[in-house]
Amino acid sequence: MIRTSRRRFLRGLGGASLALPWMPSIAIAAQADHVPMRMAHFYVPIGVVRRGFFPGEANDVIPKGNLGNVMKSLGKQSPFASDEPLVQLTPTLEPLESLKHKVNLITGMDRTFQQGTDVHAQCASCYLSSAVPYTVQGTAWPLDRTLDHLVADVIGTETPFATLEFSCNSHRDNKESIYFDNISWYGTGHLAPSIRDPRKMYHRLFSTQEIDRYRDITDLVLEDARDLKMHLGYEDRHKFAEYFDSIRTIETQMDRLEQMKSQLSRVQLDEPPEAYLPRGEYIRLMGDLMVVALQTGLTNVATFMVGPERWDTPFKFESLFDEPRSHHQMSHNQTKMIDDLLKVDRFHVEQYVYLMEKMDSIEQADGSTLLDNTLFTYGSGLGDGSTHQYNDLPIVVAGGGDRVASGRHINMSEGTPLANLWLTQARLLGVPMQRFADSTGMIDGLMAERL
Amino acid sequence: MRNPPLRCTDFAMFCALTVLLTTQAVSASESERTVPDPSAKPAGTLETVLQTHCVKCHSAGQNPEGDIALSEINARNVADDLDQLQSLIDVLDLEEMPPEDETQLPTETRRKLLAELKATLRGAVAHTRQYPRTPIRRMNRFQYNNAVVDLFDLNCTVFTLPERMLREHRGYFQPASGKMPDEVFVGSRPLGKSQMIEPRLAGVAAFPQDLRAEHGYDNQADHLSLSPLLMESFLKLGQSITESPDFVPANVGIWDSFFAAPMPESDLESIVRERLKSFLTRAFRRSVDQSQLDRYSQYVLQNLEEGVAFPVAMRAVAAATISSPRFLYLYDSADESSSVTPVDDYELASRLSFFLWGSIPDQILLEIAAKKRLHENDVLNEQFERMIRDRKLKRFCDSFPSQWLQLERIISSVPSPEEFPDFYFLKYRDSMHMMLEPLLLFETVLIENQPITQLIDSDFTYRSDLLEDAYGDLAIQHDRNGRGVQVIRFRRLPIEDRRGGGVITNAAVMTMTSGPERTQPITRGAWLAGVVFNNPPEPPPADVPALEEKPAEGEEHLTLRERLSMHRKRSDCKGCHEQIDPLGFALENFNPVGVWRDQYENGRDVDMAGTLFRKHRFENVIEFKDALLVEKDRFTEALAGHLLSFALARPLSAADRVALDEITAKVASDEYKIHTLLRQVVLSEPFQTKSFPQIASNPRP
Repeated sequence: MIRTSRRRFLRGLGGASLALPWMPSIAIAAQADHVPMRMAHFYVPIGVVRRGFFPGEANDVIPKGNLGNVMKSLGKQSPFASDEPLVQLTPTLEPLESLKHKVNLITGMDRTFQQGTDVHAQCASCYLSSAVPYTVQGTAWPLDRTLDHLVADVIGTETPFATLEFSCNSHRDNKESIYFDNISWYGTGHLAPSIRDPRKMYHRLFSTQEIDRYRDITDLVLEDARDLKMHLGYEDRHKFAEYFDSIRTIETQMDRLEQMKSQLSRVQLDEPPEAYLPRGEYIRLMGDLMVVALQTGLTNVATFMVGPERWDTPFKFESLFDEPRSHHQMSHNQTKMIDDLLKVDRFHVEQYVYLMEKMDSIEQADGSTLLDNTLFTYGSGLGDGSTHQYNDLPIVVAGGGDRVASGRHINMSEGTPLANLWLTQARLLGVPMQRFADSTGMIDGLMAERL
Repeated sequence: MRNPPLRCTDFAMFCALTVLLTTQAVSASESERTVPDPSAKPAGTLETVLQTHCVKCHSAGQNPEGDIALSEINARNVADDLDQLQSLIDVLDLEEMPPEDETQLPTETRRKLLAELKATLRGAVAHTRQYPRTPIRRMNRFQYNNAVVDLFDLNCTVFTLPERMLREHRGYFQPASGKMPDEVFVGSRPLGKSQMIEPRLAGVAAFPQDLRAEHGYDNQADHLSLSPLLMESFLKLGQSITESPDFVPANVGIWDSFFAAPMPESDLESIVRERLKSFLTRAFRRSVDQSQLDRYSQYVLQNLEEGVAFPVAMRAVAAATISSPRFLYLYDSADESSSVTPVDDYELASRLSFFLWGSIPDQILLEIAAKKRLHENDVLNEQFERMIRDRKLKRFCDSFPSQWLQLERIISSVPSPEEFPDFYFLKYRDSMHMMLEPLLLFETVLIENQPITQLIDSDFTYRSDLLEDAYGDLAIQHDRNGRGVQVIRFRRLPIEDRRGGGVITNAAVMTMTSGPERTQPITRGAWLAGVVFNNPPEPPPADVPALEEKPAEGEEHLTLRERLSMHRKRSDCKGCHEQIDPLGFALENFNPVGVWRDQYENGRDVDMAGTLFRKHRFENVIEFKDALLVEKDRFTEALAGHLLSFALARPLSAADRVALDEITAKVASDEYKIHTLLRQVVLSEPFQTKSFPQIASNPRP
């Protein structure tokens, strides 16, 4: 079960640092050893063009059309494990150059598709899932409490929000189901919905307005509850106490969040405009909100979808193309549109780097940076948008400071589950977990010391 | 149905274990059926029968079998525990006891004793008229969604629900026509492509699905409680619904009559009060009192005074309304004077609408309730007829049949891809099509008011081309092949080969009651006992070892029945297995994906013969269906029990059995028509009354 931990935040506030965004110099006095570890996931939908992203695949054949049933690489990857310094970056990854020493490129990570749904339907929704495929009863999705929540159960207990879910999906249509717009789940069939609207996210983080409206409503409905209770029999009255208890708990949460709001009011971040924002600006604004939430201690765990899975509606990529384009359709036409698709892939890496740079510029109480205290992972649930492969996924792990051995290209041996990476991250963050989903072990190359 | 004493095992574990249980070869004991012993005392009293036939195993003291002690029971105290009395009736009636290898009761003794015990039960129930109470409970997710849609008259859904298995395309569901089209276009929501995509309110997130109670339904009161987290969801939902970018005049039917700003210069206060009065009555399903109306009006007027725009203030009050416990909770108001009273007209309206429409009553029902006329027989009948012809009946079809048949189990069925490669196509499974067949049969029987015996042995079915192809030998029109994943065409086909047809021998049920590599006769038997006869077996002891999917070395030549019997060691398994095994083995001709087989892979013939209720011998599946049809009154009573339990959101008790008997008799006298069954459930005393026991609610030990 999710714990809305506004309550616990107060306990956390006592003495914890509340460095204000964009003003690293006024860090409030805090103990150096109390810098919390955070985790953030940057999810890229619909895979990447393999030739542009993966070292050694530059000359591989370009997938033709929609190869939905291939589900494996057309080219050949090394089936053997290797661990080398990350020297030469591929064209798609070039924007990482200045932060190369703080990242690891991880290749050879595989997932298992559970037969029974559309091939895109599990890409994002089950990317962080802790379920072993084919084990969850009553659903076609191998979906259970996701990594972000399992980690937040341990490192998110003192923050007002245990986790925050961002999605840069600015489509106005409801074309796709929830499985295409979310990577975060409290449990089987229990979505942790992402917020797409920067204004809505801003209000969630910094505004007391919503709280006041809840209070209005609770006053009204509590009166209903009191007089309903008069009409109930003895046993029903007993059970109905759950309603009062629930409202009371929520009110307490509201009070506590409100107290904290006054400190947050010092954050200098303008309320996002209602006006349409070009795609890049929109993504960066959502990203800024995520970084400020991590920085201020509103949360320690965030997931960030740079776009929704599939969703054929075209987006305007203002800086890239004159006309609106559909990322999904382009991925099925690589022979014709490979250059444009490469631009999209690189554009997404640029946004990731923008956020990394931002996090690396925020100094923590102990002199390290926010990035050094965050495991910030770039990844996609597909290895290629045409072959729809669930193996050989594009993954970059940034940050982690001296806990992580960085600046490497780690290739995992064939058939290594992506779950091994999630297990490794959980352990790096201090979560005492022995196994995650179908994991078979840890990624030792990522760890500065064996845990 | 048997009352479940001491049952605590979770159903999944039960399924897993039953499969592994083993049994004595039933066929062996068939020939040794005991004939009445001429020396037995004639027409024994309850005490003598119990002493002679029962207390050997069921004696107070240490470890009575099945934890049932009968040594102290006599004619005077047998009605003290109605549930135990009902269990006695059941085991005698179904000839479950004494076990097959014990001395049998003479037929005449059994008959007379049964009649006496039933009369005792009827007398006791007539005396107390005490039914279990349905506790107060919040709406489940399905009801909440429907209630919000109806309250605001939305032309889209609130959130997409995978629990609605059969997705309607192109509007085939027209109960007013009394006829199901010969060709329907449908989709499988949990397994089909893009079935979760439909017009809905943007920005609204569903709360988690409410799960089905064991041997019950997802509306069962004891399963529906509230937590702070869920309460927060409800508060958020209230706001996110009314503030969704899709919550606009074009989508909201009551926009003009509720949200739209009135003409300038109108008397705002009276307009607000008038609009709220009708809105709150519908939301709360009761007459609204003055103080409530004052409070809600005050809330709006205050907002207006502060300069909030009219539609915004109305949205806010609407958000509050659907967070109110009067909206969220279903309950009967207590009557201090006596313990059993008729429900009032408003409560009756709610019972009707939540039963047949999965939602709040409409304006018509509420208006009749306000006049206190709904309980009048002809009025009630007329409303029932109207409701059953309304398209909202689809909600009943979206919740009852799939849960009754436990069809959610097919979603997790994954037959071995090596052994059944044809089960998989593209990225999907054949189960996507399979699950729709029994649901379409149920909907057709309902829309066309056919006899419920069609559910056992139908003379038609609906199949897609892919399903026809998958059935192999059992296909009705051969050489069909199609691979729909999105909008699938199902055609009505006549059943001439009675091996197919009905809700039992269809591919969905056969597949979901099998393991990946082999059938699971015990699982199938338990499914049949629970679904068709509403008499689910007790879960097996937890310490029974597994039977492997693959035969052990040296056992490859055995049939499944022989393997199971070899693994059977324990005598305490026998009581149940004598009941469920004949049911399960009867279906052995259907392989793990529902395809017909005469032989097992090792070349041995399938041995499916058996005897139903120790009475009806069958040698093939058609004879088995005939045997089920001979027992159609038992099936009727079972289905009536399922419906009553669904309608009342609670498990049934012994007291309800009297009502079920009456319902069964009336349905039997009207050609087993399904409308008659539903109508009689509505007219039954448990449906029409509410109980407020003074002390403890359940007579259960």
